[in-house]
Amino acid sequence: MFRKILIANRGEIALRVICACKELDIATVAVYSEADRNALHVRFADEAVCIGPPRSSESYLNIPHVISAAEITDVDAIHPGYGFLSENANFAEVCKASRITFIGPAPDILRMMGEKDQARREMAAAGVPVVPGSQGIVADPEEAGAEAARIGYPLIIKASAGGGGRGMRVVRSRDELVPQWETARVEAQQAFGVPDVYLEKFIERPRHIEFQVLGDNHGNVMHLGERECSIQRRHQKLVEESPSMALTPERRAELGRTVVNALRKIGYSNAGTVEFLMDEDGSFYFIEMNARIQVEHPVTELVTGVDLIKSQIRIAAGEKLDAAIGRVEFRGHSIECRVNAEDPDTFVPSAGRITAFEMPGGPGVRVDTASHADAVIPPYYDSLIAKLVVHGRDRSEAIARMRRALEMFVVEGIKTSIPLHQRIFADSDFEAGRLDTHFLERLLPVHSK
Amino acid sequence: MKESREPRQKKNSSAEPAIPGVEFGHLEKLLDFMAAHGLEEFEYEHAGLRIRLKKASASPASGPRPGAAPQALAAQPEPPTAAVLVAPTAAPPEPAPAAAEDLHIIKSPIVGTFYSAASPGTPPFVKAGDIIQAGQVVCIVEAMKLMNEIESDISGEVVRPLVENGQPVEYGQGLFAIRATKKK
Repeated sequence: MFRKILIANRGEIALRVICACKELDIATVAVYSEADRNALHVRFADEAVCIGPPRSSESYLNIPHVISAAEITDVDAIHPGYGFLSENANFAEVCKASRITFIGPAPDILRMMGEKDQARREMAAAGVPVVPGSQGIVADPEEAGAEAARIGYPLIIKASAGGGGRGMRVVRSRDELVPQWETARVEAQQAFGVPDVYLEKFIERPRHIEFQVLGDNHGNVMHLGERECSIQRRHQKLVEESPSMALTPERRAELGRTVVNALRKIGYSNAGTVEFLMDEDGSFYFIEMNARIQVEHPVTELVTGVDLIKSQIRIAAGEKLDAAIGRVEFRGHSIECRVNAEDPDTFVPSAGRITAFEMPGGPGVRVDTASHADAVIPPYYDSLIAKLVVHGRDRSEAIARMRRALEMFVVEGIKTSIPLHQRIFADSDFEAGRLDTHFLERLLPVHSK
Repeated sequence: MKESREPRQKKNSSAEPAIPGVEFGHLEKLLDFMAAHGLEEFEYEHAGLRIRLKKASASPASGPRPGAAPQALAAQPEPPTAAVLVAPTAAPPEPAPAAAEDLHIIKSPIVGTFYSAASPGTPPFVKAGDIIQAGQVVCIVEAMKLMNEIESDISGEVVRPLVENGQPVEYGQGLFAIRATKKK
C-alpha cells in the first residue's frame, strides 16, 4: 500500500481524497496556488507545497511543478481528482516515467477516451450502442442524403472541429437537409476554420444516464449502478440521483453487462463513468466516457456503501477488485445538489467572503465541501462550494430529506444556488420523475438559458 | 532510482531559537498557558509575524510534523502556516533591524531542490556580502532532473541566503535576501 500520496487538485475533492488517505493511514501532500494558501485541503494535509500563482494554468495545471512537488516530498502516488490533470494522458505518462503511480487508468486508455470520436468507435466495436451517425465527414450533398436516409430524422449536423454548442443545426425533414448542410459548412468554416461536418441522430428529449464502473489491474471490471443527471444548465450538471426512474431492473442488468463486457475487452482499469443518452423510446446511446472519478460520486457511494476513493487507491496499489471494493449492497435512493457560489436567478458568479456557513445534518445527509465561515471564495476556479447529498429509503424520502436539508443549509455573505435547488425540488415534474435534459429550460424564465 | 528521503527535522541550534520580534520568555509563557489550559494549538498573527504552536500528535500515522515548533519568516509579508513543507533550518534569521530594512527577496519561480553551487565541491554561486547584478545566476533549483539556473531579478548586495544547500523549495519561496543598490 502507498506510504504517501500527493493530491493534484484543490477544493472539496482534494479534501475528499485526504479523507480517504487518513482512513487508510496514508500520509498526504497537498499542492496549492497562492490563492489557496489558507484552503482547507492545505491545512488538513500532512505536508503542503505551493506550486504557483493563482491561475490554474500556472499552478494546478502546471505539470512540471506538480511532478516536482511529488519528487521533493517523495510520494508513491498521485491522485488527480476530477478536472485539472485527471484525464491528461501526458500527465499520466510523466507520472509513469517519474516512477510515481497515477491513480487512474493507463495513459493509452486516457488518450482513447479523451478523443470523443475514437472513444465512440472503440465502444461501438466492443458492442456498446452509440448514437447513429455518419461514418465520418459528409463532403457533398449526395453523401449527406445517403447518410440522412440511413440515420433518419430528426438529425443534427455538427462541425467536426466544433464544440460548445456552436456549428450545430437540427434538420427535421429531407427538404431542409441540403440547405442546412450548406449553411452549416459555411458556419463551421467561419467559426472553426474548417468546413467539415458530420451527421448524427438528434434526440429531442434525452435523459442523461451514466454508469459508474471500476476495474482493477488484473482484468476484472464491474459496475456500481447508474446515476441520472438530466437536470443540467448549459451542459453543467446541477442535480444527480441514483437509481434512475427510467430503468427497469432488467434494462439495468442488460446495460450493465454490455458496459462491463466492453470495458473488459478494452482493458479498462480504476474508476470511470460511461455516459449515455436515453431516447423517449427507451433506446440507449453511448456519448462519452469520463476516465476519472466524478463530482457526483457520493450518490453512488451512499446507494452502494462503497467508498469509491478508497477503492481507487486500493486498485492503484494492485489489489483485486473484490478486495478493493469490499461489500456492495444496493439500498435506497440518493440525490445530490451541487451548491454553487452564484446568483440563483441570473447565474452570475458570486465571489467574496462567506460570513455564515451552517451545514444541515441529521439522518441521511452528507455535505462534501471545503468551504467554511470566513472562507474567501477565490475568483480563479469553478463556483462549486458544496455538494449536498441525501440518502433515503426510497425516492420519496430522499426528496423530503433534500427539501429539509436545503432549508437548513445557511450560507451568508455570498449568493448560492440553494434557492434554485429549492425550486427544482418543489416542481411536480421533478417529483414525478418526468425528466430530460431540457428540464431546467422549462422550469426557468428565458434569461436562464 | 528514487532516493528515499527522511522527513526533514527542524534543527534547533540552541535551546532558545532567536526569532525576530519575539522574546523567547514570552513564548515560554505561551507554552505554559497552553499546557495549563489543555490547548492543542495556538496561533498568533500580528504585523506580518505569524506564530503557530502545536502539540506534537501522538498518533502513529503522523511523522514529525513541520508545525511542531514555532516558525517565523520575518522577511515575508505572509508567513506560511505550519503545514508548509519547508522550514528554514539555516542560521537563525537576523534580529529585527534587518527585517525592518525592507530587503528584496529573490523568490523561487519553480518547485524543486535548491543547490547553492553548480556541482558538489565547486564554490557557491554567491555568498553573503557579494555584490550581484540583475540577471546574474545566484543558484540552481533542480526540478524533474533538470538543473535550472535561477537569475537575480535585482542588483545589489547579498545579505544572506534563506535556504540551505539541498533543501526542497516551493513556488514563491524566498531564496536570498538582497539589499538593493540605491539608484543614483
